[in-house]
Amino acid sequence: MSAIQANPQPAVFEEQAALIGADAERPKPRRSGRLNRSNLIAYVMLSPMVVLLGIFVWYPLANSVYLSLFEISFYEDPTFVGLQFYEYVLTAAKFWNSIWVGITLVLLVVPAQLIVAFLVASLLRVLSRHTSGFLKTTIYVPTVVSFVVASIIFVFIYRERGGLLNGVLGWFGIEPIAVLSNPDLALGGIAVPALWIGVGVTTLIMLAGMLDIPDSYYEAADLEGAGYFQKTWYITLPLLKNVWLFLLVTLVTATIQQFELPLVMTQGGPYESTTTPNLYIFNQFKDPTPYATSFSLTAALLLFVVLGTISALIFRFVKSDKAIDG
Amino acid sequence: MHKRHTKTVTALAAVVAAGLALSGCTAGGDGNTTADGKTEVIFWQQKFEDYQQAWFKEQVDAYNASQDEVKVTYQVVPADTWDQKLKAAQAAGNAPDVATTSYGRIMPGVAIGQFAPLDELVDPDVLDDIQPNVREFVSTADGTFAYPFLVEPSTVLFYRTDLFAAAGLDPASPPTSWAELVDAARALTKDGVYGMNIAQTAADLGWSSWGLQYNAAGHLPVADDWSAADATDPAYIELAEFYRTLYGEKLMPQEAAYPYADCAPYGEGQVAMTACGSWAIGQLTNDYPDMIPNTAVAAFPSIDGDPTKPTSTLGGWTLTVDGKSKVQQEGADFIAWLLGGETEHLVDFFKTSGYSKYPARVSVSEALSADPEASANPFMQTVSEDIVPFSKAEPTYPWEIALSFATAIEKSMRGEDIQASLETANSEIDDIIEKQKLAGTAPEAG
Repeated sequence: MSAIQANPQPAVFEEQAALIGADAERPKPRRSGRLNRSNLIAYVMLSPMVVLLGIFVWYPLANSVYLSLFEISFYEDPTFVGLQFYEYVLTAAKFWNSIWVGITLVLLVVPAQLIVAFLVASLLRVLSRHTSGFLKTTIYVPTVVSFVVASIIFVFIYRERGGLLNGVLGWFGIEPIAVLSNPDLALGGIAVPALWIGVGVTTLIMLAGMLDIPDSYYEAADLEGAGYFQKTWYITLPLLKNVWLFLLVTLVTATIQQFELPLVMTQGGPYESTTTPNLYIFNQFKDPTPYATSFSLTAALLLFVVLGTISALIFRFVKSDKAIDG
Repeated sequence: MHKRHTKTVTALAAVVAAGLALSGCTAGGDGNTTADGKTEVIFWQQKFEDYQQAWFKEQVDAYNASQDEVKVTYQVVPADTWDQKLKAAQAAGNAPDVATTSYGRIMPGVAIGQFAPLDELVDPDVLDDIQPNVREFVSTADGTFAYPFLVEPSTVLFYRTDLFAAAGLDPASPPTSWAELVDAARALTKDGVYGMNIAQTAADLGWSSWGLQYNAAGHLPVADDWSAADATDPAYIELAEFYRTLYGEKLMPQEAAYPYADCAPYGEGQVAMTACGSWAIGQLTNDYPDMIPNTAVAAFPSIDGDPTKPTSTLGGWTLTVDGKSKVQQEGADFIAWLLGGETEHLVDFFKTSGYSKYPARVSVSEALSADPEASANPFMQTVSEDIVPFSKAEPTYPWEIALSFATAIEKSMRGEDIQASLETANSEIDDIIEKQKLAGTAPEAG
């Protein structure tokens, strides 16, 4: 017997009716065979992802937490040490220094990236289709360049001798600067390629958000005599709030975890001024001692907590709204 | 309905199977037998100069052709990915059976059971042919844990005789003290050429300055029994000032375009003098032959001109058998054949290296000395007579200690307060000693 014969009234209709309150007097719809069947299909369709998540995320995570209670050796039995490595990581000045380096990189890259992307997206929105298409392609090109390739390009740009940057500075009579050997400049030197690579996709996401804002809002504002800045302040920026939130969370977590750029460009130096958290953990892991293995594992778990906290704080302070553009 | 359930179960099973396959949990053999029934020995070699890869490959092919029981599978691993690749392999339980291991890594590895002792796997006569002082680097009271391949001093002075003459310096009298070196660097820094080149990043300073740490203070920045840091010895202030003068007065490149181990800045003519390991002789001979006629080699200057004080550590490479390998005997047989057998192919190797490396076996040293070409080589003479006898073994404490002290030197070079930098390193080293429970664990050579 088919499900439709058993329950001739479509479940979707019942749900819609319940939503608009048209049948408040009627008994609540029974869980029908069709619903059960739908649920089953949903579970089956979800199961591959759940299984894969279980294998590749939840089990390794749970096992990592368990292993972090031991000093691990690949040649001897692990030694139970309880929460000792959590204490070691939390009291390691270099761990917190790396978090600070990550946050500084975020402060250098993310606001600049959002502002540049917003300005370029605003420009793209008003340009002709042909020009806009050309510009979109141009600004997206760095996104397809790998971080490693970008690192090498920028290392050559920054070269003290023969580098493009110092060549240009030389025209103005400025002495060559060894950007990547200067602890005050090296992180800024890394921020530039990070910005260069990321601005393309950020711009396109921002543009997609802008194009989603109904023209009627701007037309109404025009009728009221609003200028460009008023329209931007009262219409564009508020209606892009969810896009801002998405970009903020993804950019902050991606930037604080930046790894390839400092690895290739500075190896984390000069004296750890560019050692981001992931590079710090990676360098710890490379050391062959059991201590280093357990330390890097625990530091990785604690970085997970730090990133989760930062993301939660962003969600807390920049609350998302449901779409209000209808 | 039953059919649908079956399909669901089949789909789930497929997903689980795919997951297991992706996670490497597939069923299989023991992984030590080739398709044609030979026992397989996996051999990882860290990537060195190109001629070394060519030599190792030739030897592995020759060994595989010499018998039909064992197949050695040879894999070259780049130096900058070696540590993480090896550690990941150890974690997954498939570490290479035989691997290149530096002297500094032997004792820490022995402490965690990483290497199989060779005493019962290799003929004692073969082990006894190892030079006695080098055997100490790889042995404890429990046995011999590696077979040494070569030794090479980490710090040697290379200088351009033509630029010395042009600057009014005597090419036959290289600087012997740090003060003389700085003066020479000042005279040589002109026309876009830096007078000197030396390590400037903590990662490079960490190991390349060990000899100069010994030279300045007579010890490393940690007590001999690893019970406490010793980084604030006033002698280290002079060491830090030496580096600071070279960097601060722009007598050396202001950025590390190449790592310390690569002597390309000298080969390309960017610098008039360079500190580098003895292996640079091989690099110059092979990659920059035009530079050889104008190149001389000397022991690196000493803090006070005393040539008997160490300025270099004696690094180098060995082959080890993994402590968990299932083919330890086969791996040890290969090592004994390659490094402990006939001397001809090893003599050829050291000749090809341009005499930039030195044998760790008595019989190979004797064979090399008997070779007229080798004994007439001026580079070999200087390195083996003026440098090797005064060099120290590499320390075996955790790398973090070396890095902390090197960071203090790097900070000093770039203008930070020297005393404060050394004190920071001192407290960091004490912290490492405490957390890693190192006090009293310094290994004693056997």
